[in-house]
Amino acid sequence: MNNNQENTTPRVLKSSKNKIRVDFERTSLKERMKAKYLNSLFYKKLLVAVFRFILLLGISYIILFPFFSKISASFMSPQDFMQSDVKMIPKFPTLNTYKYLITENQYFKAMLNSFLLSAICAVIQMFVAAFVGYGFAKFKFKGRNIAFLFVMLTMIVPHQILASSFVQKFIYFDIFGLFEATGLYRALGLTQGIYNTYVPLILLSLTGLAFKNGLFIFLMRSYYRGVPDELEESSFIDGYGVFQTFFKIILPISGPMLITVFILAFAWQWTDIFYVNTFLPNAESFLLTSGKFWSTMPETLDLLSEAAGPSAKTFEVAVKNTAGLLVVLPLIILYIFCQRYLVQGIESSGLAN
Amino acid sequence: MTKDTTSIKKKRKSSSLIERRDRLGWVFILPFLIGLVFLYASVIWESFTYSFAQYNTIPAVKGGGYTLTFVGFDNFSTQLLKVVEGNTEGKTYLELIFTSFASQIVDIVIIIMFSLFIAVLLNQKMVGRTAFRAIFFIPVVVGAGIIAKIDATAGEILASMSSLEGIDMGTANGGQGASGLVSAMDVNMLLGNLGLPTTFTDMIIGLVESIYSIVNRAGVQMLIFLSGLQSISPAIYESCSIDGATGWESFWKITFPMLSPMILVNAFYTIIDSFTAESNEVMQAIIGISPNGVPNGLQSALAWTYFGIVIVALLLVALIFKNFVFYNRRND
Repeated sequence: MNNNQENTTPRVLKSSKNKIRVDFERTSLKERMKAKYLNSLFYKKLLVAVFRFILLLGISYIILFPFFSKISASFMSPQDFMQSDVKMIPKFPTLNTYKYLITENQYFKAMLNSFLLSAICAVIQMFVAAFVGYGFAKFKFKGRNIAFLFVMLTMIVPHQILASSFVQKFIYFDIFGLFEATGLYRALGLTQGIYNTYVPLILLSLTGLAFKNGLFIFLMRSYYRGVPDELEESSFIDGYGVFQTFFKIILPISGPMLITVFILAFAWQWTDIFYVNTFLPNAESFLLTSGKFWSTMPETLDLLSEAAGPSAKTFEVAVKNTAGLLVVLPLIILYIFCQRYLVQGIESSGLAN
Repeated sequence: MTKDTTSIKKKRKSSSLIERRDRLGWVFILPFLIGLVFLYASVIWESFTYSFAQYNTIPAVKGGGYTLTFVGFDNFSTQLLKVVEGNTEGKTYLELIFTSFASQIVDIVIIIMFSLFIAVLLNQKMVGRTAFRAIFFIPVVVGAGIIAKIDATAGEILASMSSLEGIDMGTANGGQGASGLVSAMDVNMLLGNLGLPTTFTDMIIGLVESIYSIVNRAGVQMLIFLSGLQSISPAIYESCSIDGATGWESFWKITFPMLSPMILVNAFYTIIDSFTAESNEVMQAIIGISPNGVPNGLQSALAWTYFGIVIVALLLVALIFKNFVFYNRRND
């Protein structure tokens, strides 16, 4: 017993006030490495890791490749499209495509408008999804399942089919004849109701009917299902009402999920082409996805492509590609900063029912 | 009579605090209900009535507007049995719906399996996990609208100029794009030499060619699976591995059942997403009937038949899944 203790007691090499170095017997480095790395389990793990890495790398390549080809095409001049040996790296690189798209198509104005509309819609959609989702998650009222079925149903019928009915609805939009009686539209100088303004998109966001809002409601509902009931019970005991509880306690804790919904709503509104061109076709305040920006050839580029002759059509496609890149570029920059929140929100949600 | 009223009174009295609070749920879903009743219901109803009527616009000189003449099921019978425009095999619209259905179902199953697989991979600790996650969710953020549209137009023009395909390899436009990544010929040769049936090789080649679109359509599903994976307590895996289960076993005995609600959700989402996407051939046919958005009885008839079939498919999926979805419920 005594002997044993003597053996294991470490020899003090150096000791200071708050540090101590001791010497004890240890297996040699070589032996340790052998035990760690020269066994079948390690090989298996290594093999799996390498295989996984290569697979993920390959899929990343598939996702990113179209962007690379678009970026390289955006720097090409019309002459480059005539030569079949030019694939990725242009021989006569030019910045003209960017220059004229930005100046002649008023890129920054469109970007500002897009940013405003997307931010407004995304904030509204986020809060509405949270509100409605909370209602579905925590209250066991009769008819809740049927109401939720309707949420799903709104996702099934794509709005493209209903476009003309929606447009009619918005041209003659009125709340119990109130706008007509007060002459609101005339006062605002609107001849077509709320058509050709941002209002229809805001209205759709407010009622949870905008693009894929059913999914947002579903996500929020699942999130709130994972929030323990005790939290609300304790807040009721403290004298809060249902709405006070929601706004003061539930909303603040659902931050991560709200951010996820916000990112998705913002991105989908930003890249949306259908709603923008159906509800605001010739608005003066045009957006990035309006025809005026992304599918109009700037005049100077048009002249350039005409001069190029046979490759004119390809050049036109390349200009459109570049316009698309310019639309997506601010979004990707925002995404790089926000992407960790996207996954964080989803991770913290604990979506399983 | 008096008995009745007393019983009702008793019922009122017995509605507890919780029941009364639960009724407040209606207030929470009120924004959605208002939109549903005042905006959506009438729009849906209009489109539905168009399918049973002939839509005639009145010229603006005579005051504008439109009239509807009720024609019963005529729209359905004429439209569904009509041959698809530009189809050389003489396929009718009804046949188009069903053939596209079959091919979509294969896609949907593969998208769900693929997104589950990738979500499991992205959930593991490894080098560059953050970077991979960021890349894999790029299609979720930018894939929805404009890129697909540009790719489609670019694909059309470039398809006719095959010598200049350099700028646009790998677009979302069906198979053409991905052939730049993996040559279909090679796969065909490889599988042909193995002596496999041609239908099987055709299916594999189809998959290889559509890998780009599958990766792009699986983003949201990956997000949902990832969240499901995060909610499984590591303690379960730990106790399972102490009992001697391998990784493979614990996947099938823990991960899979715990994720089954997510699989149902993703099945729903993928079905809705792929059947109603603009790139779907039936949707293109529906929109193609009246491209400038003027209401058309034939279009509505075709659209509503299609949505009816999609709803039936969703109900079937719900019924099938009902038996083996596992809910890890605490109290309700």
